[in-house]
Amino acid sequence: MSGNIYIGIAYLSIRKGGLGRGAIIGLDGVPHGLVEDLAHRGVMPNFRELLDEGVLKPMRSSIPAVSAVSWSSMMTGANPGVHGVYGYTEFLPGTYVVAYHSSRWLRAPPLWRRDPSRRYVIINLPATYPAGEVNGVLISGFVAPDLERAVYPRELLGELRELNYKVDVDYVRASSSPLLLFKELAETLKTRVEVCRRLVERLKWDVLIFVVTGTDRLEHFLWDAYRDEGHEWHGEFLEYFRHVDEAIGEVVNLLGEDDALMIISDHGMEHLEVDVNLNRLLEDWGYLKLENEPKRSYNAIRHGTKAFALDPSRIYLNRVGHYPRGSVEKGDEERLLGELTELLQDLRWRGRRVIRRVYRREELYHGDAVDKAPDLVLVPEEGFNLRAGLFREEAFEEGELSGKHTEWDALLYVRGVERDALPESPSIEDVLPLFQRLMEGEPS
Amino acid sequence: MKLHNAHKTCWNCPAAILKGNVDFRACGQSLEAIRRRIEREGLLIECARLPDLGHFEPTITFEECPEWRPTKYGYLLENMRVMILGIDGYLGWTLALKLGALGCEVSGVDCFLRRKMVRELGTDSVVPIYPMEERLKAAKEVLDIDIKFREINILDREKLGQFMREVQPEAIVHYGEIPSAPYSMIDCNHAIQVQYNNVIGTLGLLFLMKEICPESSLIKLGTLGEYGAPLTGRPLFEGLFPADAVLRWRGREWSLGGELTPRDPVSFYHVSKVQDTFNIYEACKYWWLRSYDVMQGVIYGVHTDEVAADPRLRTRLDVDEWFGTVVNRFVAQAILGMPLTVYGEGEQIRGFIALEDAMECMVRLISSPPEPGQYDVVNQVSGLHKVSELAETVARVAAEFGYDVKIQRVENPRVEADYHPFEVVSTKLPNELGFTPKVPLEVEIRRMFELLTQPHIVERIRKVAHLIRPRTWWSGEKKVVETLEVYRPGTRRRRGFKPRLITDRERFPVSKVEEVERAVEAIGGGEGGDGNKG
Ligand SMILES: NC(=O)c1ccc[n+]([C@@H]2O[C@H](COP(=O)([O-])OP(=O)(O)OC[C@H]3O[C@@H](n4cnc5c(N)ncnc54)[C@H](O)[C@@H]3O)[C@@H](O)[C@H]2O)c1
Repeated sequence: MSGNIYIGIAYLSIRKGGLGRGAIIGLDGVPHGLVEDLAHRGVMPNFRELLDEGVLKPMRSSIPAVSAVSWSSMMTGANPGVHGVYGYTEFLPGTYVVAYHSSRWLRAPPLWRRDPSRRYVIINLPATYPAGEVNGVLISGFVAPDLERAVYPRELLGELRELNYKVDVDYVRASSSPLLLFKELAETLKTRVEVCRRLVERLKWDVLIFVVTGTDRLEHFLWDAYRDEGHEWHGEFLEYFRHVDEAIGEVVNLLGEDDALMIISDHGMEHLEVDVNLNRLLEDWGYLKLENEPKRSYNAIRHGTKAFALDPSRIYLNRVGHYPRGSVEKGDEERLLGELTELLQDLRWRGRRVIRRVYRREELYHGDAVDKAPDLVLVPEEGFNLRAGLFREEAFEEGELSGKHTEWDALLYVRGVERDALPESPSIEDVLPLFQRLMEGEPS
Repeated sequence: MKLHNAHKTCWNCPAAILKGNVDFRACGQSLEAIRRRIEREGLLIECARLPDLGHFEPTITFEECPEWRPTKYGYLLENMRVMILGIDGYLGWTLALKLGALGCEVSGVDCFLRRKMVRELGTDSVVPIYPMEERLKAAKEVLDIDIKFREINILDREKLGQFMREVQPEAIVHYGEIPSAPYSMIDCNHAIQVQYNNVIGTLGLLFLMKEICPESSLIKLGTLGEYGAPLTGRPLFEGLFPADAVLRWRGREWSLGGELTPRDPVSFYHVSKVQDTFNIYEACKYWWLRSYDVMQGVIYGVHTDEVAADPRLRTRLDVDEWFGTVVNRFVAQAILGMPLTVYGEGEQIRGFIALEDAMECMVRLISSPPEPGQYDVVNQVSGLHKVSELAETVARVAAEFGYDVKIQRVENPRVEADYHPFEVVSTKLPNELGFTPKVPLEVEIRRMFELLTQPHIVERIRKVAHLIRPRTWWSGEKKVVETLEVYRPGTRRRRGFKPRLITDRERFPVSKVEEVERAVEAIGGGEGGDGNKG
């Protein structure tokens, strides 16, 4: 547990004997720099005020930097090697059938199971679907196909339905028109805050987790509208963050002054320049062999395939014994990984380096769940959006979206501490231990 | 060699509940997306049968999936829940037993409308049929088949909906309509009754399916009569024009590919079927239901192994002018020593299929569901025949049984062309669904003679003999048709057009059919559908 090293040092000096309550507000996909910028520009006045009462720092996300992995790290305080979640997708065991994330994948206990004596109100936390039992309330966030199973206890369902509570904006509607996107974003946020207010006022609770996902959605579609002041949707972009700031204000108002408060994001965001289709590259390089049957998805993998990629940047060897058409023998693994690393490191687009770093699994992950980990995980250079891209014709494609995740500049805000109280370079795995210390109001 | 539906995937499977579409690049989730079919990537399903798999991509083939078992009609979903609407009818009952024997969980509804109509017209099935209660008991006793039956009028949407919710069918076979052209031409009331019952029944069913079981496939019975018989000789395609069909007009050209072909129904009953076709087509488009609209030829015959297993399991057979179909009527006439009545010139050509073959087609269609949103049409025929030639064939077989039979031409009470070209395309069942007709016309006619010549049945035929000769005219008149000519079989000069059935068999030659059958044997897929996967 690398995150625990600095815990126990007497850094929580200004919080005195806490009441044991605390809140985490999550802002999905919001980079540290954006909040700092908008707080100072007057778009996020509530956040501006909070800055005076605590510390804001950039935070390292998980690798890969996708919500399923990073929120799993956050809620368990553990490394993917321990909690076992490496992405939104995995194959069903022994097949090439792509399964989507389920909370059952989690191999390490999240905080509400570690400490079931506390009472929780958890709203819109990603990667918790289907919602399991909790001492309190849990409403899962993205991906959550059925609201019924996204809610614990079920009795809440009627009320949520009445409020037209939505787990997520409908991205098809959203991508059909920015007007619809902004409308969906505003409505979704509004009901989410309303649900939070009702629950917090009605229930006895010790821990509140409230996550906004609209931020991530908006940035994906219209990151450029943030950066470019002349952009036709610039005003609306800021307007949404004004709403988010109001939401933060409302949630903070529900807390007591002595309640611990952290505001975090799970990863950062930056301008997306070009999509990079990893499976296209693997095919071009002769490592991946596919039947020409896009409908079959990964089931189209043929014998002779040495490696394939899963979203967003995970590469797996097609091992004999692991997969139906496994074609990599034990003895060949090292050589193949070496070859692939070299090819990936040398990859260029218009003269620019594409991959910043190729990690071996053992460099990133440690724990009992490492056996499920990808063999290689890639971190791209700025602007490159890595994705599996099965059955794509081109390796490099003009970006379909405007923003993409980053690994290094998630945000971490802690109320009531001083700068040196936080780790030098905090990571998302540090959030939970930090939060627990904060709530306990560990005296100096 | 693979079974015809081995390559189909969860995408076709009724147990796959569509959960929407996830775009991880945009970190977005949408149920709408699958309806609009914008992105194939990231399509999410849950398996109703294997919920522990969580959510996954619909890419498992029937061959790979443990829930689909090989049978000689292709992979079949284990204990597949099939609901038959109109289960008390000629085809419904026969199919229920066949599916039951294959291991399906069969349920069905009927309001006994057919029995009532027949009674009102003073006629009856010449093969004795038993009350539903006894049918169900016999099915259990003799074949060990449990059928879940409810007496429900399809028009009673509330009751039907309740039953559908209870059963959660994975396929629905819709036979529950009034099947008779002459009946619909009796008078205004009958025309309205037929259209209301058929059209509104089906429309209501579509709404219920959307609500309750959008994943299940609808196998709906239309009829080849929906197309009519175009005098231009244009082939009767399978519902939609093929990709290379072209319309040329004033020097300009358009592709017709994918458009519904023209319909030219030949009675108010047939109009109801055409209306159904459009309603189903739209429902597939709006709500992503999936359906095979089966343009079925005229059915003849009495035999399947299951209905023949016990007298209480027999299915109905009618020979009166309203509900009797032509071959069935000819056989009855032959047995009574009446001349076989051919309408008009007898040069009309129609598509036909034996009961047993039709049942096999249905099983294959049930086992090979269309994709979500797919409206597909199959022409279900095994042979095209002229009415006068059918009379000759029946007469020939009758002679084997010692009956000396004449043929008589009578006035044609219908409005139809006596002479017309007739070319039918039926390529999907033989090629995509692996169907080969197994019952030649003579063979089934022989089976009919064997059954219908039993004394108690002859007695029943005699009772309705006066209702065989038609008196329902398309003009609205009510008068018995007059005889125009009586002749001995084999003496009439052949005239008119030669029918043409296009099956594209060459794409699926007989040697391959045999290969498939061997493959089926190899995997041990018998009727019971209990074969194991290799
Ligand atoms: N028999 C053929 O030659 C033939 C040819 C082409 C198409 N078809 C079609 O196949 C289907 C079945 O034909 P069949 O010969 O078995 O007819 P059938 O009359 O023997 O069977 C239909 C059954 O549906 C029931 N039914 C009708 N309306 C109902 C309602 N509203 N609610 C509940 N039950 C209802 C009837 O009581 C009857 O038992 C029909 O749609 C028919 O048009 C038949």
